[in-house]
Amino acid sequence: MAEAGLSIPEWMRKKPIDAGVSRNGRRRRTSVVERTISGLSEALRSSIFSERIAARPGLLQRIDPRIKILGFLTLLIAIGLIHSPFILLGLYAGTVLLAAMSRISPGYFVKRVWLFIPLFTGVIVLPSLFNIIRPGDPLVTLWDFGRDVHLGPWLLGDSLAVTRQGATGAVIFVLRVAASVSLAVLLTLSTRWPDLLKALRVFHVPRVFVLIISMTYRYIFLLLGLATDMFTARRSRLAGVSTPREDRRFVTGSMGALLGKSQALGEEVYAAMVSRGYSGEPRTLNRFSLAGRDLVFAACVAILAVAVIGGDRIIG
Amino acid sequence: MAENNQVGGPAIGEGNAVYEVSSVSYSYEETGALDDVTFEVKAGESLALLGANGSGKSTLLKMMNALIFPSSGSVRAFGEELSEESLQDEGFSLAFRRRVGFVFQNSDAQLFSPSVWEEIAFGPLHLELEPGEVEERVEATVHILGLEHLRDRPPFHLSSGEKKKVALASVLAISPEVLLLDEPTAGLDPKTAGFLARLTVQLAAAGKTVITATQDLALAKEVAGRAIVLGEDHRTAGDGPAARILGNRELLLSANLIHDHPHSHAGMEHYHPHSHLEEHHHGDEH
Amino acid sequence: MHIPDGYISPQTAGGLWALMVPVWYTAGYKAKRLLKARQAPLVAIGAAFTFVIMMFNIPVPGGTTGHAIGGTLVAVVLGPWTAVIALTVALVIQALFFGDGGLLALGANCLNIGFAMPVAGYYVYRVFSLGAAPGSARQWLAAGVGAYAGINVAAFLTAVQIGIQGDFFQTAAGAALYSPYGLSQAVPAMMAAHLTLVGFVEAAVTSLVVLYLQRTNPGLLLAAAESKKARAGGQRLKPLAIGLLLMIVFVPLGLLASAPAWGEWGPEEIREELGFIPEGMERFAGLWSGILPDYALPGDGGEPWAGVAAYVFSAILGLGIVSLLTYVIVRLTAGKDVRK
Repeated sequence: MAEAGLSIPEWMRKKPIDAGVSRNGRRRRTSVVERTISGLSEALRSSIFSERIAARPGLLQRIDPRIKILGFLTLLIAIGLIHSPFILLGLYAGTVLLAAMSRISPGYFVKRVWLFIPLFTGVIVLPSLFNIIRPGDPLVTLWDFGRDVHLGPWLLGDSLAVTRQGATGAVIFVLRVAASVSLAVLLTLSTRWPDLLKALRVFHVPRVFVLIISMTYRYIFLLLGLATDMFTARRSRLAGVSTPREDRRFVTGSMGALLGKSQALGEEVYAAMVSRGYSGEPRTLNRFSLAGRDLVFAACVAILAVAVIGGDRIIG
Repeated sequence: MAENNQVGGPAIGEGNAVYEVSSVSYSYEETGALDDVTFEVKAGESLALLGANGSGKSTLLKMMNALIFPSSGSVRAFGEELSEESLQDEGFSLAFRRRVGFVFQNSDAQLFSPSVWEEIAFGPLHLELEPGEVEERVEATVHILGLEHLRDRPPFHLSSGEKKKVALASVLAISPEVLLLDEPTAGLDPKTAGFLARLTVQLAAAGKTVITATQDLALAKEVAGRAIVLGEDHRTAGDGPAARILGNRELLLSANLIHDHPHSHAGMEHYHPHSHLEEHHHGDEH
Repeated sequence: MHIPDGYISPQTAGGLWALMVPVWYTAGYKAKRLLKARQAPLVAIGAAFTFVIMMFNIPVPGGTTGHAIGGTLVAVVLGPWTAVIALTVALVIQALFFGDGGLLALGANCLNIGFAMPVAGYYVYRVFSLGAAPGSARQWLAAGVGAYAGINVAAFLTAVQIGIQGDFFQTAAGAALYSPYGLSQAVPAMMAAHLTLVGFVEAAVTSLVVLYLQRTNPGLLLAAAESKKARAGGQRLKPLAIGLLLMIVFVPLGLLASAPAWGEWGPEEIREELGFIPEGMERFAGLWSGILPDYALPGDGGEPWAGVAAYVFSAILGLGIVSLLTYVIVRLTAGKDVRK
């Protein structure tokens, strides 16, 4: 070893203290590091999964992405304008049907939609059921105080009750959120993202913005990989004991390191673009063409939007 | 070869200078400095730029691609000096970018498009080819490199070998006369590295000028007719036929391209200066 | 803080979309001038960075974790206008590809997180770091203060947008159509969380990252400072002032135009609503009455436009506070710059 000029110190030759691999029965608290790693890899996994669904030959996958975005935005606005919970429920059911017709398993679809936004909405809407939060006609009176009760400057009223308005409002709100989120998820799952990006041009999003969005999406994955490496390296060096203070230092240190790497990468990407002729003016090839089914889809969306809004006003 | 006259330099044929690098120096706060480097590259030549990490070979390639410019001295391509000012000229810049292609060492920096197809189309599109021709070229390049199964994939889900192939395809679709390759085999599995080496030989045989910056002496031996060694002092340490340079053990040792180290062959460990050349072939199949 | 679809009415969402157009235009123009052709990849990777750090869990005292948004951090490194673009792009990708934040609500999210947060945060940082040497303690402290201000401004705007839903969008019978909580509930709830906890997480993260950069990569912090030096002192005020002016003009206009247009508020409904709204607001106005005694506008009679007026008033008030603060801050920085 002398020839290589490297000598291994004595302590490095010894076995680690307590080299036996044994369990001591104590559970390690999942650390921020682990939680972040699983969050990062989840994002990667779900994007690969979406990509696969978007490649399936389903109904929505075949629709021109430009028409699909316009159609879905129309439907989102329609959903936003509906007052009737029944029509909202019908529209929600419609999205599940669309998912099934687009070869997206309804079980997966419903789960993906409800976790996490509509579920979260369901929880935060709860207080508004009660008359002390939002006034209304009592539907179920839970507790009659017998007199007006004050809490500091607030007048709570003379009873605690679930109101008719509160319940209706909660149902409308949660259904509206669920139907809206379903549409957004359907759009994402059924469209390959390069197509989704190109479709943004319909909205006169400037080319350079589309370029930036596409590059951002692409480099998110590189940075996710870099971040995962940093966190994984940290985890492998940790026996599981680290104070929140150390964790904070580590996490913010990683952010700083990542920022430095991002900046250097940005310069290099720019050089690579210039090398292939980029001069600040992005160009794209448009390979979309409208087919009959796209027009049928557009017509269906328009009719549906008018029908539900009209129907809502009649019921309403 | 009518295209060659666009730049206004002399007509390029076999034997004419594509690049004239004269007393180029470059200093940068970190690595990659150059000190008084001079050489010429003739059309159709296949040149290896050899040097250890930080010897400045990447910097030199970037200069030859007009991505950075020398602090002193000059780089002339096709008879025209490369400077910020000359690259501002749209006509020159377009012609230069069409004639010189650069494959970066870091494929992740080079692959920035949403899909493989668009990645390959980026160069031809931005170099103002007709849409029909862009499609033809992309399809042809995809076919040559056997990338059909990847054409709609996003580049970030590819393996590093696939990424390198796509990066090469994105440059070949431009069909440049001069190819600058920065460490093309670094980090690749032996099979892909071998594929790249063979492809480079074929491109050189087809008349392309190929300049490869590398520390992989086996690759240099396989693809280059001539080699330039950059020393650790950032100066030219040697320049000549590849066979002669690669046979000069002292030169290679001084440039830190070969080393005295223990390593194992078929389970047998031994120590001696070695160059991964005559005595042993690691990885690269012929 | 990302508003999902369904939380705000299409009318509000549309108004906020319209409002972002001049902001994006200004940001695009400013960023282009500052960064030239280099902008595309740099902004893209800045946006990717923003996206990724939003996923980092930060341990918070008390045993739970939070996450930072990094709006002020990005503004400190890239400059405020480039940050507006980078954050917008990150928000678009979150909405389109990851379902984080709604599509219709994208305009609102871009206004709060993509515009108000980095711009307010950045100028507060500028005030507090004036004359501070690069690498000094005051620089990273100022970044923290800026981040705290930035995220709270964003939270306030979000709360106002959500709060007006509960107060002004309901069925004839009084059931909420969108988010059911009024201004008097949404604003205190949101601000309580952000003033006490979330704001400090954002501040700590921003400070620590700036501290890290001071030690390891000071060039990054200098880059934004240098591009700033190139600009004349007074010039800086203009786009900001114009943007805020447009906000104040367009928000109420958009609401006035869109509310009757959608046929939501026939005179009948408004009369019914008006019997209810001021009552509800009075009831919960306790907390606010000290600060804004006339908040619940009079008009519980037949004034059909009183509801709209209250709505517009609240919007102007919210935006007014923000823009006043920003204006004062910018004024202060500009003044001191001249002396320097």
